[in-house]
Amino acid sequence: MGDFMSTLIPTGSASGTGSMTLAAPVTNSNQTATLPDATGTVMVSGNMPAFFAYVSTNQTVSSNTNTKIAAASVLFDTHGFYSNTNYRFTPTIAGYYQISGGVGPYGSGIPTRAFLSIYKNGGEWIRLQDIATNNTNSPQYVDTISGSGLVYLNGSTDYVEIYGWTLVPSGTPQFQGNANPFFTFISGVLVRN
Amino acid sequence: MTLYEKIKSLYPELTDRDFSTVIRLQNDSDGKGDYIKSWNHPTLAKPTDEELA
Repeated sequence: MGDFMSTLIPTGSASGTGSMTLAAPVTNSNQTATLPDATGTVMVSGNMPAFFAYVSTNQTVSSNTNTKIAAASVLFDTHGFYSNTNYRFTPTIAGYYQISGGVGPYGSGIPTRAFLSIYKNGGEWIRLQDIATNNTNSPQYVDTISGSGLVYLNGSTDYVEIYGWTLVPSGTPQFQGNANPFFTFISGVLVRN
Repeated sequence: MTLYEKIKSLYPELTDRDFSTVIRLQNDSDGKGDYIKSWNHPTLAKPTDEELA
C-alpha cells in the first residue's frame, strides 16, 4: 500500500521581513481546518472590508434629477475605505464587492416614481430598482426602494457611489434620513478577490 | 426654481419619462447643484446657459 499523505509546504515571500504565525485557538478539543483543493488567496477578516453609511437627516433633492446620496453617517467601516465627505467607497483591496443601496423618497409631495443605481467611477453601472405608481389613488406612492449588485473594483482607482432619482409632481422631494430603521444608505462587503 | 423646473418651463412638451431616458439631470452632492449630465433628445436642443440663467 502506498503513502497517500499530501504535504504542506510553507514558503517564504520573495520580499518582506515579517513572519507568519498559525495560532491555535483556546480549546480542549482537537479541531481540523481543511484547506480547499484549489489555488487562491485565503480570505480572513483582515482582507475582507465591510462598510455601511447612511443619511441621518433628510436630504433635499430635485425632482427628476439623479442625486448622489449624501451618506455622511458611518455605522461601520472596517478598513476606512469609505469617504463620508464625497460619499464614495474606494477600496485598496481588489475584488468582487457586493454593493447595496437604499433610498427613501420623501418630502412635501407624493413620490410617484423612483429608482436608484450603483455608479462606478462616475457613471451609472447598475440600475437596481425602478418603481412607478398610479397617483390617482393617493395611498399608492413610492416609499423605500433598495437593491444590490456585484461589482469588481480594482483596488486602486475604482470607486462606487449610490444615486437616487425621484419624481414628485409637486412639492419638494427628499431622501429620507433616519437610523433604525435605515432608509437611505450605501453598504458593501468584499465577497472574494 | 430647480433646473428641472427651468427646463420644463422652456419645453413644456417634455415628459417625465424624457428625464429618465434621453435627458439626464444630475447632482453629485458636492455643493455645485444640479446640472445637465446628458441631453440626447431627438428634436429639442439642449438649452443654453443664458436660457437657464
